[in-house]
Amino acid sequence: MSVKVEKLEKNVVVLEVTVEGAKFAQEVNRVAKTFANRVNIPGFRKGKAPRALVEKHVGKETLYNEALDHLLGPTYAEAVKESGITPVDRPEVDVVQVEDGKELIYKAKVTVTPEVELGAYKGLQVEKEAAVVDESAVEAELKRRQDQYAKVITLEGGKAEEGDTVNIDYEGFIGGVPFEGGKAEGHDLVLGSDSFVPGFEKQLVGAETGQEIEVNVHFPEEYRSKELAGKEALFKVKVNNIKRKQVSPLDDEFAKDVSEFGSLDELKADIRRKLLEGEERRVETAYRNAIVAKAVENASVEIPDVMIQAQVDHMVEDLAHNLEYQGINLEQYYQYSGSNEQEMRERFRPQAAENVKSELTLEAIGKAEGISISDDELNEKLVQLAEQYHQPADALRANLEANGGLEGFKANLTMDKVVEFLVENNA
Amino acid sequence: MRDARDVLRRPVISEKSVNLSAENKYSFWVDPAANKIEIKNAVEKMFKVGVTEVRTMNVKGRVKRVGRHSGRTPDRKKAVVTLRPGDAIEGFAGL
Repeated sequence: MSVKVEKLEKNVVVLEVTVEGAKFAQEVNRVAKTFANRVNIPGFRKGKAPRALVEKHVGKETLYNEALDHLLGPTYAEAVKESGITPVDRPEVDVVQVEDGKELIYKAKVTVTPEVELGAYKGLQVEKEAAVVDESAVEAELKRRQDQYAKVITLEGGKAEEGDTVNIDYEGFIGGVPFEGGKAEGHDLVLGSDSFVPGFEKQLVGAETGQEIEVNVHFPEEYRSKELAGKEALFKVKVNNIKRKQVSPLDDEFAKDVSEFGSLDELKADIRRKLLEGEERRVETAYRNAIVAKAVENASVEIPDVMIQAQVDHMVEDLAHNLEYQGINLEQYYQYSGSNEQEMRERFRPQAAENVKSELTLEAIGKAEGISISDDELNEKLVQLAEQYHQPADALRANLEANGGLEGFKANLTMDKVVEFLVENNA
Repeated sequence: MRDARDVLRRPVISEKSVNLSAENKYSFWVDPAANKIEIKNAVEKMFKVGVTEVRTMNVKGRVKRVGRHSGRTPDRKKAVVTLRPGDAIEGFAGL
């Protein structure tokens, strides 16, 4: 077998594969035999008919096509290997010559991974943000905890204030007539939460337990219920009780209550430290992403459409998967969001192109720098992973190998290493 | 004399006949009225080969029934012709 490689456009390659006549004839013979076993030719038991008769019976074309089908797969794979290309698509095969006793020649047109023209990727001088934690962030976190641990007490006498929860019975009237949905009993309303008609909550401020008040409101023009929009309404409200959150003062006592620390300062320091850690992680990730983004930006590559499409497929699949966890399928999602598959794919496209590009760029850098994962490293990672999943490492490995996932796993590790390399060479 | 085509009707294409052709013996369905001499001449003329021996047999037609009607397939005569060593009929199976 011999292969001729011809580059068409940017990343389309035509392989001209020539298979020796003998090999082709042999395959045709083999195919003829299988056919002989299947067809019934008068005068012969199955499988006993001579080749010439079988050929006459089923047709030469059929035999050749069948043989071709059998030969294409393996020879194409071999040709790909021999020519060192990396196809990203199924080949478009064009048969040039099939004749008895002659060589079989076919051309396979296939899209291959594009070559990446790497731009600068070392010494990118990407600035790393400093991780700072604002004192106000600490205060906010402290306040959050304070709220979280606040005690709710029912007010015995006293007036409702903004932020209190009042339990009310109410009935609404428009022009003296009760209206649908305007009545409730024992409703908990947080004053200042703006969950009712504007003005309603304000008028309850200052109310006392047991008091009955009349509240006048004006429904806004764009109110969701058409009958009520723009109308004046009167609500007769009875306040059943008033609950107030009582926050403990921020002091050492509070610190002891909510944490294992003995003093407020220690608690603050701890909060600050944790926030800082989170911030550092965020900054580090952002920094890495920025470096990769920069390197990718500097590189140029023409991405074949099929690769983007494949990536989009992937993203849609991911989405479908995530949606499934929420108990809906894609169709339903399209309905809710008022879109359709086409639109969605269109929306994913830029991101998909970006992803493919980074992947290709990182791969190219890895190749240019000779970064690869040694077997030892691979093993080490596998053991780590196995521990995470509580599986024996060997089983995991066998599993990955069986699913063809080992290559992907290795590729991921290589990517990580390339990113590491970029970070190291940033300055 | 009758034409060779009237004597030789068609080759016998079967496993047995194909195997016999390996021994330089070729089988034909022939006119039941034809004799060995006529068959010999016909084969020699049609395929331009030498014939050393002709053996013939009459094959009775089979009784076939379709429902309550019974009939017979026609009687046939089969001839196995041995060629002179070295001669051959090319593409016998495909005739």
